[in-house]
Amino acid sequence: MKYTTFNQKSVNPLTEPMFFGNPVNVARYDQQKHSIFEKLIEKQISFFWRPEEVDVTRDRVDFQKLTEPEQHIFISNLKYQTLLDSVQGRSPNIAFLPIVSLPELETWIETWSFFETIHSRSYTHILRNLFSDPSNIFEDIVVNDQIKRRAADISKYYDDLIFHTQLWQTQGEGMHTVEGKTYEINMRVLKKKLYLCMNSVNALEAIRFYVSFACTFAFAERELMEGNAKIIRLIARDENLHLSSTQHILNLWAKGKDDPEMADIAKECHEEARQIFINAVEQEKEWADYLFQNGSMIGMNKEILCQYVEFIANQRMSAIGFDSPFDVKSNPLPWMNNYLNSDNVQVAPQESEISSYLVGQIDSAVGEGDFADFEL
Amino acid sequence: MGKNDKTRRIDIINVACIDSHVDKTLLESLEASGIDCHYHCRDGFCGACRTNLVSGTVEYTTDPLAFIDDDEILPCCCYPTTDIKINIPR
Repeated sequence: MKYTTFNQKSVNPLTEPMFFGNPVNVARYDQQKHSIFEKLIEKQISFFWRPEEVDVTRDRVDFQKLTEPEQHIFISNLKYQTLLDSVQGRSPNIAFLPIVSLPELETWIETWSFFETIHSRSYTHILRNLFSDPSNIFEDIVVNDQIKRRAADISKYYDDLIFHTQLWQTQGEGMHTVEGKTYEINMRVLKKKLYLCMNSVNALEAIRFYVSFACTFAFAERELMEGNAKIIRLIARDENLHLSSTQHILNLWAKGKDDPEMADIAKECHEEARQIFINAVEQEKEWADYLFQNGSMIGMNKEILCQYVEFIANQRMSAIGFDSPFDVKSNPLPWMNNYLNSDNVQVAPQESEISSYLVGQIDSAVGEGDFADFEL
Repeated sequence: MGKNDKTRRIDIINVACIDSHVDKTLLESLEASGIDCHYHCRDGFCGACRTNLVSGTVEYTTDPLAFIDDDEILPCCCYPTTDIKINIPR
């Protein structure tokens, strides 16, 4: 089906599935099939922040004081996060917008991706402050084998979905040969690609960020690189919200609350989706290995980090109805919670309009007792 | 909308039985009694504190944005409105 930027056909978005229905026409939010996505948009916008608001100048002095293995850990993590947000800043738009069918979900995807671009800009902000010329760091991201291997795994599900969608939108269903390779295009194939892609994105938002978050916050626990930690806190808060959206999408499908065919596919591809998660965990552990190859840092080592990944993975997997395959019962890094707690994210309310500040303005709870001393 | 002004009984299966605290969220009541419950955002959007509600009812202080199943609650942004029985996943 050809994509159109404004579908002239009158459609009822309340009966459309999230994806692969009719293209969205009017961006209206007065009626919603899944109102959760508009709530997520509101929350995300209330989180708005700019990297320039955070002063990172003291980090330069701290960075000089770090040992060489510590500098390797710090810089490698920044590179990896730059890669992740480069992918996330564009891919949800390119992969999901051409096939989305609900206005509130379309706007959520755009909002989500926009915030990833804020994250990308903040890495430049951090690196510019640490180095007079950060171009070596950025250039290494596409050369470094460790990072390239991760990039390949993260982008392959997106690329696959995007390519098949393009074939479908230009050639329609059927068998199509492109550059000597034949591809089968039908709705079932497309929806399977979408399901696997969404699982890969969910795993990315759920665990891939957390190894580097943990290292950043481990520095901050020693009162080092605190400007950077402040920025990463803001990023972690956003990523938590993004994760919530992919969990909603996967659960809506699996529980048959959206497209019945997707519920079927969720069952059929369960094992493959689970494997995507397990692979991501393994890759994160390999990443921990690479980080600590030259030596560890105070308060953090490879073993604790691997345990933390398993702990987080257990939680994230049970959130989408999967089993918890790892044998880690308690949180090996309890102090992480202090950094992931959104109440501790320091922002001046009048500058960034945190949601609690806005919501707290009006006490809308009116009980019968409130009129007790009221006489006419 | 009710007010969080009454102490309720909280039965945490296989862990303990405690009293809720007035003007505190369920998570804060649990913490005040030294009971471990996982959390991240404390604002209802990350879902890290997801807990099974076996019986009783709760009221939310903010709209929960994280995905929760019909029998699940987010302790970080709710308080009990009756005596409740919960099961914290380990």
